[in-house]
Amino acid sequence: MLFSSLSFLYYFLPCVLILYFLAPKKWKNSVLLLSSLFFYAWGEPKYVLLMLLAILCGYLFALLIARYRGRRLSRLFLLLSVSISAAILGFFKYADFFIQNFNAVTGLSIPLLKIALPIGISFYTFQLISYTVDVYRGVPAQRSFIDLAAYISLFPQLIAGPIVRYSQIAEQLSSRRHSWDKAALGIRRFTLGLGKKVLIANAMGQLCEIFRASQDKSVLFFWLYAIANMLHIYFDFSGYSDMAIGLGKLFGFDFPENFNYPYISRSVTEFWRRWHISLGSWFRDYVYIPMGGNRVSKPRWLLNILVVWLLTGFWHGAAWNFLVWGLFFAVFLILEKLWLLRRLEKAPVLGRVYVLFTVMLSFIIFSAENMGQALSSLGSLFGAGGLPLLSAEFLYYLKSYALLLLIGVIGATPLPKVLLQRLGGSPGGEKLRNLLELPALLLILALSTAYLVDGSFNPFLYFRF
Amino acid sequence: MGLKTKNILLALLMAGALLAGFLCCLLLPDREFSQSERRKLASMPELSAENLLSGAFAEDFETYVQDQFPLREGFRGLKALTETYALGKLDNNGLYLAEGHLSKLDYPLNEKMLDHAAERFRYLYDTYLAGKDMNIYLAVIPDKNVFLAGPSGRLSYDYEALVSAVREKADYMEYIDLLSVLSLEDYYRTDSHWRQERLLPVAERLAGAMGVELPQAEYKENSLGTPFYGVYSGQSALPVSPDTLVYLTCDAMDGCTVTGYGSGKAEALPMYDMDKGQGRDPYELFLSGAQPVIIIENPKAETGRELIIFRDSYASSLAPLLAGAYAKITLVDIRYVQSAALDRFVDFGAQDVLFLYSSTLLNNSLALR
Repeated sequence: MLFSSLSFLYYFLPCVLILYFLAPKKWKNSVLLLSSLFFYAWGEPKYVLLMLLAILCGYLFALLIARYRGRRLSRLFLLLSVSISAAILGFFKYADFFIQNFNAVTGLSIPLLKIALPIGISFYTFQLISYTVDVYRGVPAQRSFIDLAAYISLFPQLIAGPIVRYSQIAEQLSSRRHSWDKAALGIRRFTLGLGKKVLIANAMGQLCEIFRASQDKSVLFFWLYAIANMLHIYFDFSGYSDMAIGLGKLFGFDFPENFNYPYISRSVTEFWRRWHISLGSWFRDYVYIPMGGNRVSKPRWLLNILVVWLLTGFWHGAAWNFLVWGLFFAVFLILEKLWLLRRLEKAPVLGRVYVLFTVMLSFIIFSAENMGQALSSLGSLFGAGGLPLLSAEFLYYLKSYALLLLIGVIGATPLPKVLLQRLGGSPGGEKLRNLLELPALLLILALSTAYLVDGSFNPFLYFRF
Repeated sequence: MGLKTKNILLALLMAGALLAGFLCCLLLPDREFSQSERRKLASMPELSAENLLSGAFAEDFETYVQDQFPLREGFRGLKALTETYALGKLDNNGLYLAEGHLSKLDYPLNEKMLDHAAERFRYLYDTYLAGKDMNIYLAVIPDKNVFLAGPSGRLSYDYEALVSAVREKADYMEYIDLLSVLSLEDYYRTDSHWRQERLLPVAERLAGAMGVELPQAEYKENSLGTPFYGVYSGQSALPVSPDTLVYLTCDAMDGCTVTGYGSGKAEALPMYDMDKGQGRDPYELFLSGAQPVIIIENPKAETGRELIIFRDSYASSLAPLLAGAYAKITLVDIRYVQSAALDRFVDFGAQDVLFLYSSTLLNNSLALR
């Protein structure tokens, strides 16, 4: 089920809210667990069992790790637990990729498994890995299977993150505070996220689809696509994260932030501190630092960066373009760490242009169906392929989407937030802001509903994650 | 108002909105048909283990909720207004409003569709027309986009290029130009079709080119009496004033008989079907709308000449104006009858033959069978 669907907004969510707030405290996690399983099973019932099995493994191994803490067995159980989670992810997500490439290299024709990728598998396996590792590192293991299963399968963050670590919400699982203030904060955040997804991201996604289907491409149309693609991915992903964080607050949880205006970064290093923060920090804490981080020899340090970013790319999808996407960032991050970062710090405007340009190119690789298409699109941005500079369709869609593009560009910066804060700085302004907030939120909900009722373009980007 | 009160109000109202939506979804009765969109609405999908396990139920349920959502028309209107006026989008779901007219983008020129249409025409020619004493004509009706899309900055193809391509592929037909006798005002504002009361110059152009004379008749303009909201009106969901549907009558039409084969058997039809005029698509008033074969016979005709028109819906309002010049007009719509089965309804002999198709149909010809 998608947050940006009528069945979620007007059937699932009201039912869950009623059940959750009517349930006594000790039943709340059970309500969340059952709701989350229903949420997951809605579109893909068969994989609920796989998720429950993975959770059961994590639950049992964590208990064993805790029981044998300080002994070699504890490490063995950790290894087994991580291996099982990685094997589940590897089998369901990467098996066909490896078979395909093995066939290509050897000339064999081993049949593909053609397994449909279970939605959210990359998120919940990473959470399970972090849970058992955290327990190994000293965090107390969760004794209640229901509480652990509720955490792993928690529907607000199940299919598109953020990757919430067990240590971040362990206490909240057993004891969390519900308040009107927190609920209002959650609803506000959820509604803004819904608007970002339905009103901006979907429109940008539609522009990208129009471009892909066009027979009237031109160099500037490629640029328009590249910009729309950047906005699509950002508003889709950050909108989803906003909705997840908002829903979390409604149910009393505090999820970590996942995006912090990444497009205003002055370096790629900074960009990755602001983009999909929960994934970046996961790789830092569970891969990069255990490999030695930067406290090793320079060649080993560079290798560590390379490995982490290849894995980061590969996490996003089982295809070469995702690996190349990760490698692309590894190259820039290494360049920055070796000499570019200090220079960029002295030229913030140039830094921002450099980040936007680099990220724009990277998302063309990210969104391509294969590397051939990615290279061809990159070339076309710079006039390769004999394309004309302008085309009728480019001009038409530029005019048609101009205002939305402008809203997207401004919305991707902290400017609206700063303006609202300034407005709230004076007593009159604060009154006005308070007065307008509720109508504005209701308008966003009504508009999002209207777009969903009309059956507007509403893609789900995370089916390859 | 304190912060606490404001937050309580905000949480209650927003959650209340979702809850109200939920209750309305549950309690309001389902509708079968959308009059404005002219389509059947989705019904509650069948709840079965197979449907649930395959994920089909979830998918169909979303479509069902979309179709049956409370205040659906209002929400569609809100989206259309936002797209058109607030965001300045040049079209909403391919529909656009310009110079007071609603229209639908028809872009780009589709060579494959033109080839398909030409192939179907060639089949008709080879099977029924070739080698007979027949005059064969082609007239392409310019869709109103020809007058509206380009000038209003919408995507449009070159109409002349479409005509040239079709003429080249159908070089066995004599071409009759209609562009010069039409303008934007000859089309309904809210519908794709042309207005019968403005078609006399078109009828004269066709009759002249085919060598027949229209009788000098005094046409009476009759109004349907109820507002005509054309097909684009409901599809666009924009608030626009309705058209007036006018149909012409004259003495020459009085003695005409109309026979349709919609049910497979011959059936007497009115020239203007008043019941259909009050129905889902009032344009169906003209010759009762979609019919595979219609025969208009005019016993008062001064000549025994006959005409076969291979046509789309535009011809429904035009054919009555040609009825005075022919003893018999046979209208054939190969969207509703297989071309191979036409000899069951039509005796091909020494008639005039007119291929009369709109540019929209030619550019989207997959329905031609």
